[in-house]
Amino acid sequence: MNLRRWFLFPSWLWMAALFATPLAIVLAYSFLTRGVYGGIEQPWTVESYQRLFDPLYLSIYLRSIVMAIASTGFCLVLGFPAALFIASSPQHKNLYLQLVMLPFWTSFLVRTYAWLFLLRDTGLINSALQAMGIIENPLPMLYNDGAVLLGLVYGYLPFMVLPIYATLERMDPSLADAAADLGARPLATLFRVTIPLCKPGIIAGSVLVFIPSLGAYLTPDLLGGGRTVLIGNLVQNQFTTARDWPFGSAVSIILMGLVTVLVWAFLRRESENLA
Amino acid sequence: MKRWLAVYAAAFFAFLHLPLLTLAVFSFNSSQFTVWEGFSLDWYRAIVRTPQIMEGTWNSIIIALTATAISTVVGTLCAYGLWKRKSPFLTGSLYLSLVTPEIVTGIALLAMFQFVFRWLHWQLGLYTVILAHVAFSIPYVVIVVLSRLRTASPVLEEAAMDLGATEWQAFLYVTLPSLVPGIIAAALLALTVSFDDYVITSMVAGIDSETLPMVIYAMARRGASPVINAISALITVFFGLLILISERVRAAG
Amino acid sequence: MNRRTFLLGTAGVGFAGCRRSNLPRLNVYNWSAYVAPDTIPNFEAEFGMQVRYSTYESNEEMLAKVFTGNSGWDVVFPTHNRLQPMREYGLLAPLRHEWLPGLDNLDPAFRAPEWDSELLWGIPYMWTSTGIVYNRSVQPPLTRWADLWDLRLKGRLTMLDDPEDVLGACLKKLGFSFSATDPQELNRAKQEAIAQKPLLRAYLNAEVRDQLVSGDVLAAQLWSTTAQQAIAASSNLAFAHPAEGSPFYCDCAVILRESRRQRQAHQLLDYLLRPGVSAEIAGFTKTATANGAAHRLLPEAIRTNSTLYPPREVFQRGEWPRTLPPATQRLRDRIWTEIKSS
Repeated sequence: MNLRRWFLFPSWLWMAALFATPLAIVLAYSFLTRGVYGGIEQPWTVESYQRLFDPLYLSIYLRSIVMAIASTGFCLVLGFPAALFIASSPQHKNLYLQLVMLPFWTSFLVRTYAWLFLLRDTGLINSALQAMGIIENPLPMLYNDGAVLLGLVYGYLPFMVLPIYATLERMDPSLADAAADLGARPLATLFRVTIPLCKPGIIAGSVLVFIPSLGAYLTPDLLGGGRTVLIGNLVQNQFTTARDWPFGSAVSIILMGLVTVLVWAFLRRESENLA
Repeated sequence: MKRWLAVYAAAFFAFLHLPLLTLAVFSFNSSQFTVWEGFSLDWYRAIVRTPQIMEGTWNSIIIALTATAISTVVGTLCAYGLWKRKSPFLTGSLYLSLVTPEIVTGIALLAMFQFVFRWLHWQLGLYTVILAHVAFSIPYVVIVVLSRLRTASPVLEEAAMDLGATEWQAFLYVTLPSLVPGIIAAALLALTVSFDDYVITSMVAGIDSETLPMVIYAMARRGASPVINAISALITVFFGLLILISERVRAAG
Repeated sequence: MNRRTFLLGTAGVGFAGCRRSNLPRLNVYNWSAYVAPDTIPNFEAEFGMQVRYSTYESNEEMLAKVFTGNSGWDVVFPTHNRLQPMREYGLLAPLRHEWLPGLDNLDPAFRAPEWDSELLWGIPYMWTSTGIVYNRSVQPPLTRWADLWDLRLKGRLTMLDDPEDVLGACLKKLGFSFSATDPQELNRAKQEAIAQKPLLRAYLNAEVRDQLVSGDVLAAQLWSTTAQQAIAASSNLAFAHPAEGSPFYCDCAVILRESRRQRQAHQLLDYLLRPGVSAEIAGFTKTATANGAAHRLLPEAIRTNSTLYPPREVFQRGEWPRTLPPATQRLRDRIWTEIKSS
């Protein structure tokens, strides 16, 4: 087992130096006080956490959770039929999968910028609608919650499609056939048989979309126009312009806590399912 | 229902790809606005003529290659070690690191670096970005290689050792060669994730370590510009080709 | 292993190639669009240095980097009311006047400013005020801060993404001072800002310039320099110094204490004090210079431009915002977060 210890040594080093230590420092900072103009100072206090219970910040958490749920919901509704299509195609499955993953491989920043380009007042959508005479003045499609939601859904859609597809692939097609034999119409089969059997994939996909949406920073920043403040923006703001590291650390720890609980619950469920 | 599904799928793929295609098409537009005025390569020429973009690209390449190299090695070794015997602590950390929101990873690393700098009097720079990229890439590599390892049978190694090979030789000559496609896939994933990263990089970059995503972001903040379209088109084509080629190699191997 | 060695080798070569030249380096962090194209290259050529020149869009963006005390920047350009906190935090290097013979070129109004009467910490560089830039199609013309609460402008209006300016406009609308410290006054200003938010398209800084020129945005709270740049690009735009009063800001060139190139930094500051250099910058960037000798060199049209160089009455109505006590600053930060997330 000597070899294994050597092999794992660099990873332990990574874990200690680049994962545990930073988080420990953030945890420590969350209990300290902000210096007069920024920076960290001595009195150990829970003041930062107390501030979090202010309705202002609770509303930011709430809005972030709602946004994450909405983005997960839309990804589910949009992604499930696509996964169904790919799983039920007789040929070209790999091609379709690659087509779904291809946007993921290109830059997330680029994909978010693409919507900035399309939605702004002089952007393609408004120009086209105006050229066709459908509208006179440009529609303000950018710099609002809807634009952020669109950006999130567009960015994380592949993460929903793949787990659902994987579950559908493994599903026994004879079950759907049996339902049809017993007289069920296609839609009924879909809702009564296929979807329930797909639950593991749906849950996996939902977790994969929900968590990044919860901690999103880039999308609300670029597409929200500074009007949408979500948890990610709050953290970034506290660590840069507001220079309130203790408070930003407290917000981050709570966010980490939320995420950890979610993942732990998900993994527990997974291991129960496997057992 | 099959027909509806097909129609939906077509619309779905259009939704996924049209925004990027539009970006690419308009990168050739000679006008700055979204009215097509004529074909032009001006914006591509502007890329080469802007030192900030060239320097950002260069930095991104250096960082991505270095971070990928390190994280692929560490991650592969880690995956192999975990395959042999479980370590819930390490596995848990890897999972947690994967789901940690990028902004939290970024500020945590920044906090640690600044804490260390109190004594060392160093500054943020290329090396802090590389360390950060290694930090978040390793879990990706481990997951890919580990999933590949799980399809492999430990019997082969045991057989080799029964025949007199040492553990190291068994790894090097039996397991590693079969892992190569998985390692390449992991390295490509790490490369893509590293090149594309904005959030974490922006927190830990120094004044001489601006990366391409940081340049794009700064330009995007000032309003849309066709130069960004051109850069986006190039990035998309480059990574798209990279993935397609790697898929071919993987399918062949 | 071969592949990895190759990759590591490439990285090594890359690192080696990065060392571009052996000239002394100077790292300068300035507001965007604040120098002429030739300014830095001429400086580099004359003094034999290599300048890394980066830009920022707000004081906070710059301060976030500089406050750590080891950012790597040598020269930055904070607004005048940031000088005191920076000084108290030990971030600034005192200026040595013997290395700055060009100090006499400064306009008399800026030789002993209220924020730094001995010019020990920063050299006034360019100054600006905040006002309203609007499309001429908006009739009657906008003249007051209060006009920015007009329902007609809904969706075509922006304010600056800057707590100081937004709260300042609200405070002035209510008749209070820009540097108000009374929590009651600040809370009333907050209510005004929240009431205005539904009318806003977004909180934007210099980014809004293009949208003003293209006509997407009809009215914007904007700094006079950026406004002048927009007006120069489109004849449909006009600028108003609000009747209730404008804030005046002076961006000063400072040298950071962490800089190990104090001499070179002073050389840059003295270079920027030259009348010819300052005039070229002011002419190109359409900014108002604090350099009196340069001002005299400017073409008539710019020298008398009322957006950049407002008449006396505007000065009398206006204020130079002062550094606020930390408690007030925290209250304002919190109010800004409340406004942004309402």
